[in-house]
Amino acid sequence: MIAVLGLVVGVVVGLLVRPEVPVAVEPYLPIAVVAALDAVFGGLRAMLDGIFDDKVFVVSFLSNVVVAALIVFLGDELGVGAQLSTGVVVVLGIRIFSNAAAIRRHVFRA
Amino acid sequence: MNEERHQGNPGPQDGPGRPDNRLRKELPEERPASAAPAGETEEKAPTALTGRQRLAQSLWPPRVSRAQLIVALLLFGLGFGLAVQVASHSEGDTALRGARQEDLVRILDELDDRTARLEEEQQSLESQRSELENSSDQAEEARRQTLAKERQLGVLAGTVAAEGPGITVTVQDSQDAVGADQLLDAVQELRAAGAEAIQLNGIRVVAGTYLTERTDGDAGVSVDGNKIAAPYRFKVIGKPQDLEPALNIPGGVVQTLEKEQATVVVERGTKIVVDALRGAKRPDYARSSAR
Repeated sequence: MIAVLGLVVGVVVGLLVRPEVPVAVEPYLPIAVVAALDAVFGGLRAMLDGIFDDKVFVVSFLSNVVVAALIVFLGDELGVGAQLSTGVVVVLGIRIFSNAAAIRRHVFRA
Repeated sequence: MNEERHQGNPGPQDGPGRPDNRLRKELPEERPASAAPAGETEEKAPTALTGRQRLAQSLWPPRVSRAQLIVALLLFGLGFGLAVQVASHSEGDTALRGARQEDLVRILDELDDRTARLEEEQQSLESQRSELENSSDQAEEARRQTLAKERQLGVLAGTVAAEGPGITVTVQDSQDAVGADQLLDAVQELRAAGAEAIQLNGIRVVAGTYLTERTDGDAGVSVDGNKIAAPYRFKVIGKPQDLEPALNIPGGVVQTLEKEQATVVVERGTKIVVDALRGAKRPDYARSSAR
């Protein structure tokens, strides 16, 4: 419950404050957000499976974000940033979908 | 690790082959370890709960625990980043942010073309505007000239009042000896001397003015059908230095009138007002031949 509250408060604060995104972080923020979403869906699924562990969740969350940003950074350096970030988004999207399917099976039994 | 295992499981290891035992033992050992996270919600998962129940229990009642707080912090970061990204992305100018270089070059080219086209259009519109302004200036000028001409002609035709330097002529006629012909002589003399606007006893004298003797037997004359009587007062606008001598020449108007026992007084004035008006009459037959 507190976790859900944290998400809601984060969205509200982000909308209210509307900070300027630093230019250096700008290309990585969307990918990082998608990666974090993937981690969150994974954590939700783990919780429904009854194997949720907060340490695992924290580590996977942070490493997801960092790795995603790293890939984009590397892609930018190599000149294939757009393609690589597309690839990352596709992979994360697939994972999100499979996690969401598992969650759906738990919640709706279908 | 190994020692712990040995200590933790002294009883079961009774098999002869130690390596085998170890392998066998590792599985039971691992299970509690992996089951522990599931059991982190100890009070809620005593037995096999369905995912739905777990979800409901974790949602309500809210419990403050370290894990919850850490997850809340992470989710706060996620929500924050999500909102910021959405907000900055929906600000509008970011439509080009994700575009590829070739696309950007193409867009830039298109914009350049468009700019050139619009500049061309602007130039043509500006030249059109200056043209129109010129023509409207010309129209304005023509209108002003027409207006000025109308005023000039109005003074001549007697449709507008006029003022300026001139003379006043007063003819006292106690003997009733002054007739229409003498007054007409005076008018002609004034016209010849350059009078521009003449008024006789409140009647504007114009090109078509006629003077006749009165037919009803009374003293006086009629001007354009209006009966007037002595004293006759001329108000004349023109150059006083021309008008006065023209009346006073030997054998001229003044002498002729004085011969008839009338007294004539000529006064110069710097501001003579001729304000008697005459309606503009549209000619019945004559039409302007100027096109």
